Amino acid sequence: MKKLLKENSTILALIGLMIILSFLSPVFFTPRNLTNLARQVTVIGIMSVGMTMVILLGGIDLSVGSIVGLAAVTVTLLMQAGLSITLAIILTILLVGVGIGLWNGFWIAKYDIPPFIITLGMMTIARGLALTLTQGVSIPVTAPAFSFIGGGYINKVTSLIILGIALIVGIYSILKAVKRKKANNIEVSKINTFSKFIFLFLGIFLAFFVFIGYRGIPIPVIILVVFVALGVFILRKTKLGRRLYAIGGNENVAWLSGINIFKTKMFVFSFITTLAAIGGIILASRLNGASPNLGKMFELDTIASVVIGGTSLSGGFGTVTGSIIGAFIIGVINNGMSLMGINTFYQLIVKGLIIIFAVWVDIMNKKQRS
Amino acid sequence: MGEEVILEMKDIVKDFPGVRALDHVNFRVKKGTVLALCGENGAGKSTLVKVLSGVWPYPTYEGKIILDGEEEQFSNTREAEDAGIGIIHQELNLIPELTVAENIYLDRQPTNKFGTIAWEKMYADAKEVLQRLNMEIDPQTPLKTLTVGKQQMVEIAKALSHQTRIMVFDEPTSALTNTEVKELFRVIRELRASGVSIIYISHKMDEIKEIADEVTVLRDGASIGDVAAIADITLDQIISRMVGRKLEDMFPDRIEEMSRKKTLEVKNITVDDPKVSGKYLVKDVSFSAYTGEILGIAGLMGAGRTELVNAIFGVYGKKSIGELILNGEKITINSPKEAISRGIALVTEDRKELGLLLEQDLAFNISLPLLDDISKKGIVDQIEEHKIAEKYVEELNVKTPSLEVYINKLSGGNQQKVVIGKWLATKPKVLILDEPTRGIDVGAKVEVYRLMNKLVAQGVTVIMISSELPEILGMSDRILVMNEGLLAAELSKEEATGELIMEYATRHIKKGAEIN
Ligand SMILES: Nc1ncnc2c1ncn2[C@@H]1O[C@H](COP(=O)(O)OP(=O)(O)OP(=O)(O)O)[C@@H](O)[C@H]1O
Ligand SMILES: [Mg+2]
Repeated sequence: MKKLLKENSTILALIGLMIILSFLSPVFFTPRNLTNLARQVTVIGIMSVGMTMVILLGGIDLSVGSIVGLAAVTVTLLMQAGLSITLAIILTILLVGVGIGLWNGFWIAKYDIPPFIITLGMMTIARGLALTLTQGVSIPVTAPAFSFIGGGYINKVTSLIILGIALIVGIYSILKAVKRKKANNIEVSKINTFSKFIFLFLGIFLAFFVFIGYRGIPIPVIILVVFVALGVFILRKTKLGRRLYAIGGNENVAWLSGINIFKTKMFVFSFITTLAAIGGIILASRLNGASPNLGKMFELDTIASVVIGGTSLSGGFGTVTGSIIGAFIIGVINNGMSLMGINTFYQLIVKGLIIIFAVWVDIMNKKQRS
Repeated sequence: MGEEVILEMKDIVKDFPGVRALDHVNFRVKKGTVLALCGENGAGKSTLVKVLSGVWPYPTYEGKIILDGEEEQFSNTREAEDAGIGIIHQELNLIPELTVAENIYLDRQPTNKFGTIAWEKMYADAKEVLQRLNMEIDPQTPLKTLTVGKQQMVEIAKALSHQTRIMVFDEPTSALTNTEVKELFRVIRELRASGVSIIYISHKMDEIKEIADEVTVLRDGASIGDVAAIADITLDQIISRMVGRKLEDMFPDRIEEMSRKKTLEVKNITVDDPKVSGKYLVKDVSFSAYTGEILGIAGLMGAGRTELVNAIFGVYGKKSIGELILNGEKITINSPKEAISRGIALVTEDRKELGLLLEQDLAFNISLPLLDDISKKGIVDQIEEHKIAEKYVEELNVKTPSLEVYINKLSGGNQQKVVIGKWLATKPKVLILDEPTRGIDVGAKVEVYRLMNKLVAQGVTVIMISSELPEILGMSDRILVMNEGLLAAELSKEEATGELIMEYATRHIKKGAEIN
């Protein structure tokens, strides 16, 4: 039981926070507010999937905030220049996302330059580029259909179907995992399976209440879910995930075990910037325009989400689901404090304290593990 | 030798989740004697001395620690130190970046009246402690420039810098050269003469015979028999207390003779010293390895044996030079990945730094070099992974509560078995083992030897580096002796003797580049 509590401490913290806020503010637990909250969390959430991988490697990426800004500006300018929406998006992802990521990754993987330095450099370069491209002013989106990505909803009927499918897939995969383990004589902990069911039902029920109660599932939330699923899949099921944990745990051991460190690092550092570029596109779409200052401090919120989610800053240990919960914790705190009319200055202080607390917990856990 | 009992541990019980590591252990140590603590891997030796030294504080265990007639309940290591208990852990516990003196006084630097560190005093004190050990080490040198043996002396010095009454050594010699072991024994004898009691943990029976006055045995966390004077007990009796049965041959014979076919030929392997240009770690080493035999590589620590096999395994990439011919085909290997795909495996020497991911579970570790084989379209088949891990846990008799246990929760020897299992799982054609039996108990050693024989019978080419002469002599069909980066001799099983190997391993050979 104690173990169960500890393993799920972040999600329990999130639930606790939501309950408290529901009492403190009548507006908090309404479909409309929670829908907005979910939309706001998406950009940080998407990036925290990639940031989890980066931090698992023992790295860090400080450039993602600036890349959000640069991508937002780039996609808007490309559309202004007359490119179609699809083409503008693809080009932005390739140039700003993959391109910058390969550059970052190359220096880090090939020459062993600390990621902190390379991405710190890129943080200013990308911001500088965004400012140069726009001459420092905001630019409006010219293609009306573009706003669908960040601001659109899936209609209620389809949303309902999606939630239904999610529920069935969830139940099926939990049962299948149990069955596969049983068939192979691997121990299954009942309480663990049970808690998985609880969280699944709770999640689906909440989504039902929030999204069906308002306007359906927001498109960016769907995008977030897709990337979270991808991230979880990569880390849990694939060779790539194993390599990531291995390199983060001990690079020498990984190298001696035949792991291609260069390739893995290149992938991870381009994946995170690609996600940041997608985040920038979503943001530009939601705001219907782009300012070169978009995404400032996003790197910090992203890193904070990952750390709150239990990923160890020294690498080798952590999960994507944890980071997403971390992103929601930060989102809920921001949202709740705004609802209660607390000044944003205080919000910064509270957020800082939470990060320190999370790192402290991580270090305590680490001590216990060894 | 005193008769006065200084330390008694009574009915000690220590549980970890899923395992009872200590199960009513009883023993006592007399003043000014050396007590050997023996037992198989995972028997609970390290756990017992961790209880004694406050690593596992009161009351995370049950039972009594009675020191000099008084019951002690340490709530941390500091309290144990203050009570006079010093310990050299199985894994070195120093900080390589700091100087010798800083390491000795890590948590208790002498300060002057302003509260800043009194450097002069610290260096002088450190020098004095080191001199007590007859060690001429400059206290201001950074620790990382010292050999492992010297570093261990620093650990001892650190322990002695408190008023130590009981000194615990947990497998101190596993990384020491013969001369360093002699030096260590000299220090232990001096400590004993000055009235310090010593608890000595080791898997090396000859050492125990040599240094211990008394011996006590743990098996599966329980004391087996009473403390016995070393003169009253034979090695066979100790071993049978440890493993619960009689052990047959230490070095099992190979049943069938295999045909010999040249598999691996290496020519002129050279590895430069990355720290000093113009110097080398390995120079122009050539040899061949065959199926049907075990090729032993002997030599002192630092002779370049590890670097030689690393070069073959592609660890240095393009930085090492030389030619490799595998089954008649000239090949290049520039990374461990390429080596693995060619069917070469290297059981590395330092399990903690090079062999295992300590914060991952057993199955994860075993499958690491196999990922390509157990994945389809990039997805790892976790059931297959589990099966493989299970197979090698069984085959090597790894003592573990489950396959999901974190590696750092296993005892040192069981970790070593996991490293071996990890490389066996790659089904290698050429298996290189670098000090494969370091830290594993006698029973497990025989298992590993048997396994090596089995592999040879299956047609695997086995190359084994070992610093233990009996192992080299007992297991190898052919022996290479390395000396300061060069191949000093190649001996057949028949002509090899311990003296001959040592002579080749130690004498200065004239060679092209300078040595110092
Ligand atoms: N921190 C820990 N958490 C859980 N189990 C542990 C921990 N440390 C040790 N154990 C378990 O306790 C048992 C005894 O381990 P211990 O390290 O004392 O063995 P040992 O006799 O020193 O063996 P070796 O000769 O291999 O060093 C083992 O089964 C081990 O898995
Ligand atoms: Mg031990």
